[in-house]
Amino acid sequence: MLEFSFFGTLRDILASSGFADFVNDPRSLVMIVVACVLLYMGIGKKFEPLLLVPIAFGILMANFPLTGILNPPEGTNVGLFWVFYQGVQYAVYPSIIFLGIGAMTDFGPLIARPSSLLLGAAAQLGIFTAFLLALALGFDPEVAAAIGVIGGADGPTAILTASKLASKYLPAIAIAAYSYMALIPLIQPPIMRLLTTEEERKVKMEQLRPVSKAEKIIFPIAVAIFVILLIPDTAPLIGMLMLGNLFRECGVTERLSDTAQNNLCNIVTIFLGLSVGCKAQAETFLTVETIKIIFLGLFAFMLSTAGGLLFGKVMYKLSGGKINPLIGSAGVSAVPMAARVSQVEGQKANPANFLLMHAMGPNVAGVIGSAVAAGFMIKVFQPLVGG
Amino acid sequence: MISVTSALLVALSGMVIVFLMLAILCAMIVIISKVVSALTKSAAPAAPAAPAPAVPSAAPAPAAAPGPYGGEVALLGVDEKTAACVMAIVSHETGIPLSELVFKSIKAL
Repeated sequence: MLEFSFFGTLRDILASSGFADFVNDPRSLVMIVVACVLLYMGIGKKFEPLLLVPIAFGILMANFPLTGILNPPEGTNVGLFWVFYQGVQYAVYPSIIFLGIGAMTDFGPLIARPSSLLLGAAAQLGIFTAFLLALALGFDPEVAAAIGVIGGADGPTAILTASKLASKYLPAIAIAAYSYMALIPLIQPPIMRLLTTEEERKVKMEQLRPVSKAEKIIFPIAVAIFVILLIPDTAPLIGMLMLGNLFRECGVTERLSDTAQNNLCNIVTIFLGLSVGCKAQAETFLTVETIKIIFLGLFAFMLSTAGGLLFGKVMYKLSGGKINPLIGSAGVSAVPMAARVSQVEGQKANPANFLLMHAMGPNVAGVIGSAVAAGFMIKVFQPLVGG
Repeated sequence: MISVTSALLVALSGMVIVFLMLAILCAMIVIISKVVSALTKSAAPAAPAAPAPAVPSAAPAPAAAPGPYGGEVALLGVDEKTAACVMAIVSHETGIPLSELVFKSIKAL
């Protein structure tokens, strides 16, 4: 005979619920609060909402107790988010996002002024200085390398590097990278004003030359061949970036270009965000290391901005005052936010100044620069993680 | 672990490699642009000779109109901010990037 007790059943349901588990481990509750704060930042403050909202919801889902949503395969059972995470584990999502970025990016300003590439290189300074500082703070070398890449201001690159070198710290690194990218309009201007003079900021730059279609088609093919042959570890990022750009420029694959920059990119963004968020669990996220990573990320961003600006000043001198050093700060990737900041600061100094297109050159150069820097770090440090 | 010297060496090498790589890319772009430009120019003579200017020398072209790639836009009765807005709108509406559009003049009607 079945003996049914309403209150007994209610007690059993509550005892086996997630609420009861909070008593055993209240850290999950803290993570749920963290997720809600991030949701507020994404929705309320519009900080990179396309990434931050799925990341925050991923954190929320991963920290509900007893769901098994992250469980690896066991017989026919597997956690849904474990499946999603394989796309990060094997660098599938960041590479597809780069395909979309390539399809969205006009490399015309870079081709019109190739010296912009040097600004993109100088703005990787934060990667290597943050790497050194992370070592000084006690991180293992491979983790320090992954943390340093936050300074490239390129989310997919930071995620790819972290997934290969420091998967334990992936959520903290991704959240730091995307949060600071959203805060670029607050982080960069004081550094820009500190490192440049009023006279430098007022410089009006000449209009860029028109770039032919042939140049735009040859560019992604040549870059892919050269960069990937030299540093094979950049293949996933540079290869997909340039393929996306070829879709855009070749003129015969409009549908593919459209899909890459819209539907495909949006779909993968959802899975990328959820996958990153779901790794942010209390035992790995609520640590002193997370705070250190957040601090190091800010340091890396500031140093990268400074690197670009200082090299911009060098180019200002070398060009006889024709190059406005403010475009140097756009050498951190963060397309097109960093270029917009250069435009805004340039216009504050001289209302007749229109730096946006000039800043787009270093801006897209930064994407290539950070991918090269990440490829270098992976090449050097992957043997330490047994990859 | 990694020694201080090795760490510094890694950071320095990384920065140098990034610079070198992008500097070589810079040179590569310059070469590609020159080759494309040379090929375009060599293809041009094969085309029929360009027609003579429609306006004889006695009636010079409007002085305000600069060469298309001169880096200047003649603004007639509009301020620079409005002109920038017009350029951005034209670029957005036509779907042609600003780097590919050449404005000769913008005139207030």
